[in-house]
Amino acid sequence: MDRYQFEDAISAYLDNELTLSERKAFEDFMNVNSEGKHLVDSIRANMTSIKNLSDIKASNSFMPNLHKRIEFEKKRPSKKIVNRPSKTLFGFTPLYASIMTVLIISFVTVGVNLWPGAQAPANTIPAYTGNISGAPNKTLDHPTIDANQDAILAEAETDSADTTIQKKKNFKLGNQVKFVKDQR
Amino acid sequence: MDNQIRYTDEELIARFQKGDEQAYTELVIRYRDKLMTFVFRFVNDMEQAEDIIQDTMLKLYTHKHYYRNIAKFSTWIYTIAGNLAKTELRKKKTRKVTNISQMGPEDRDYELPSVAPETDEVVQSEYIEKKIQAAIQNLPLHFRTVTILRDIQELSYEEISKIVEVPLGTVKSRINRARLQLQNELKDLK
Repeated sequence: MDRYQFEDAISAYLDNELTLSERKAFEDFMNVNSEGKHLVDSIRANMTSIKNLSDIKASNSFMPNLHKRIEFEKKRPSKKIVNRPSKTLFGFTPLYASIMTVLIISFVTVGVNLWPGAQAPANTIPAYTGNISGAPNKTLDHPTIDANQDAILAEAETDSADTTIQKKKNFKLGNQVKFVKDQR
Repeated sequence: MDNQIRYTDEELIARFQKGDEQAYTELVIRYRDKLMTFVFRFVNDMEQAEDIIQDTMLKLYTHKHYYRNIAKFSTWIYTIAGNLAKTELRKKKTRKVTNISQMGPEDRDYELPSVAPETDEVVQSEYIEKKIQAAIQNLPLHFRTVTILRDIQELSYEEISKIVEVPLGTVKSRINRARLQLQNELKDLK
């Protein structure tokens, strides 16, 4: 045991907290080191003096004063409780909840329409899907005058961007449409 | 009151929590002077110590349901008193610093408490007590608390550890170092 270990163990020794072997080592050090023994004796004497310090008593007015303070505490108005609205939807009053719902629906609708994958409006120009390598466009070619001349001319006069032409050509009207002087 | 002596502190606080005000009075009587000694040795001011104990007892009254029967009642009440005392000391320190700094050079005529022996006026025991009290005041706060609790209040290491909320080993080490410091300060006492 060295000097530092000895000093660290003084309180444990005085409070009887050392094991038997530790206690023996401590006392062996003390027996060969008079300065160490003096230190322990001095600390022990101080502890006794501190223990013998007079007890401090509360004054006679302690209890009456305490009871006065307790009475005062009892009469103090309780903390103000903030009344919350009785019915809320996710923390909103019904009015604000309605406004929030309308706003959310509006945002969703606008958002869906602006999305790139959304259906294009009817008046936008479609992407070109025609044949770019081979056959010339029939509508730009010089047509020969034949029996369908009127129909071809009518077709050529229409807007090339009109996508409904193809659909019109594919219509099989059959017996659904009858001209006024149709002999069928 | 005699018929209440059989109740432990924990039983008394349980009764008080159920509304028995007599149990509260009994607890105050049991702890008032013990806490007074502890706090006076800590703050070194009689009036202030009494105010702190009043606050402690008032807290006991208003916060009775904060006590849970998992710790000893004495640990809980010492913790409250100790915390209030520390808070008061911090306030006092701040007030002192402010006052001195606000004084002009001509105003700096203040008295510091004297610990010199006044053999003509006081008996030897009073001198020793003053000297010890002054030595305790010179200890850092964390040493002061554990020394008072151990050497004056005679609480166990385990209880002190719970009150000051530090590990047992730290409590032992602090007590040892505090005793060494006190021994150094009280060398000339013998």
